[in-house]
Amino acid sequence: MIEVNVQYYAQLREQAGVSAERVGTDAASLRALYRELSARHGFSLPLEALKVAVNARFSDWDRVPGAGDTVVFIPPVAGG
Amino acid sequence: MMRFTLSAEPPDLSLLREGLRHPGSGGFCAFEGWVRDSNEGRRVSGLEYEAYAELAVAEGERIVAEAAARYGVLAAHAVHRTGDLRVGDLAVWIGVCAAHRDEAFRACRYIIDEIKQRLPIWKKEHYLEGDTAWVACAHGGRAHESEPPQRHDRQQDHAHSHAGTRLAFTPDYSRQTRLREVGDAGQARLAAARVLVIGAGGLGCPVISYLAAAGVGRLGIVDGDVLDASNLHRQLLYDARDVGQRKVDLAARRVAELNPTVAVQTWNEPLHAGNIAEVFAGHDLVVECTDDLASRYLANDAAVLTGTPLILASVYQYEGQLQVIGATPGEPCLRCLWSEQPAPGLAGSCVESGVLGPVPGVLGTMQAMEALKLLLGLPRAADHALQLVNLLDGSNQRLPIDAAAGCARHGGCVAVAQRAIAGAREQLDIDRRFDRLHDAIAAGYAIIDVRETQEIAARPLPVASRRVPATVLAAAACEPIEGRVLLVCASGKRSAHAARLLRQRGVDAYSLGGGLAALPTEAEFR
Repeated sequence: MIEVNVQYYAQLREQAGVSAERVGTDAASLRALYRELSARHGFSLPLEALKVAVNARFSDWDRVPGAGDTVVFIPPVAGG
Repeated sequence: MMRFTLSAEPPDLSLLREGLRHPGSGGFCAFEGWVRDSNEGRRVSGLEYEAYAELAVAEGERIVAEAAARYGVLAAHAVHRTGDLRVGDLAVWIGVCAAHRDEAFRACRYIIDEIKQRLPIWKKEHYLEGDTAWVACAHGGRAHESEPPQRHDRQQDHAHSHAGTRLAFTPDYSRQTRLREVGDAGQARLAAARVLVIGAGGLGCPVISYLAAAGVGRLGIVDGDVLDASNLHRQLLYDARDVGQRKVDLAARRVAELNPTVAVQTWNEPLHAGNIAEVFAGHDLVVECTDDLASRYLANDAAVLTGTPLILASVYQYEGQLQVIGATPGEPCLRCLWSEQPAPGLAGSCVESGVLGPVPGVLGTMQAMEALKLLLGLPRAADHALQLVNLLDGSNQRLPIDAAAGCARHGGCVAVAQRAIAGAREQLDIDRRFDRLHDAIAAGYAIIDVRETQEIAARPLPVASRRVPATVLAAAACEPIEGRVLLVCASGKRSAHAARLLRQRGVDAYSLGGGLAALPTEAEFR
């Protein structure tokens, strides 16, 4: 198991109740990590609607999370 | 009755007078302004009034309402002529009814003074020598400014203490031209710039304010909404008296008060696929400030196609996102990040999710800053990024967008934008919007309900319709369809798709835009 720093924006922050957290995971991809977190926090957004970034770079969902990575999930927002 | 009208023809004065009759009235006062034969020493043969009609009517109605509130009158009507007038013609008529003569006299005087000061009406004088000149209509003082305070007037005083200073004003940009990177050359660039602001709401208010104040020469403002009281906590261009009025008119008026040297053009309906590229082509820069994802995607596509830089921002509760689309080859666009517009329910809105007022204030201010940087050629971040701003924890991060991983894989931003705009244009042509289905029938459309049987049972149509499920239409397994038809489904998606298929078969088919969901349910289904 590794530990990663996860940051949430917008709806995800609201549903998780925190902007950031440190989580332990065995997920083999960012996709699997999001599914784990979704199950824990009850996220309503499908993964297809999101962008993910690792260490301040956009990433694809197949990337394997590394120990100490900062993973950011970004939903589209529309307010003005 | 409180009214202001513009009239291209000589008004019928007896009708106007009769329209003001009120049983509680003990005094009626009328003022008439006539065209005289000289102005400032020159002999005049006639003149021509030209008005910025929308703004003039909004401002005129405001003046009449102010007079009513200030003096407690019962009815008032002011009429201003437009077009060609000759010496002796009536140019302005004002009638006021009040319980007593004093209020009627004072209100009449107030209205004519304010009209002269505030209305966006221009006068072209024709001189006997044959030449002409445009002269400002604003002349003269305001008798009511030397009056003692009235019972009704606190808010109004506040309002025209701003307006009263406006015409003598010369902007002073010295605090910004002092910046070495700006200087007089930069100021000239701003004065020559044409910037379009789409949306005059939470983001748009700071954008419009800062760009007008900075001396951007021409501002275009697009907004289809009227001001709601729930807007005021974040939309600081407006105040409590403005509720119910169109935001574009209010914003144009506010700009005129803030910096009269800025020319404003307004669009009081959202831009659409049919006109957006043309509007963009008339501007140097566009700032997208709506709360509408569809508008952002359309703006992105138009920006890419016309090569017009676009500044996007959006907010959610306590945070926001900012992206500058350079609209030059090799730079990423919105679709490089999110290739398709997310389903509307996914992105949240200020109405559903709530927002704290300063959040769009901060993001809109950042948009204004990006706009000025682009217009002035100031240094900008080297990368093309999505900027995420979280105002709760103060974090601010830039995520570089890799253009090679976006539209480049689908033929490039321009090709993607062309396809998207073409699709949106086709949609525009196929969609027809009605408040009631009865109106569609009255307009000559036969209704075809393409929903499935159980959907129809749950929400039957209130009008006669033919029922052909979209699946059956697609399989061409139905009886021939003649005449002009309007296809109807729940959301407008299946009906639009079916209409396209029918058009390929030569049918004059349209789709109810937005589907039944877009119909006002009260009227249609009660």
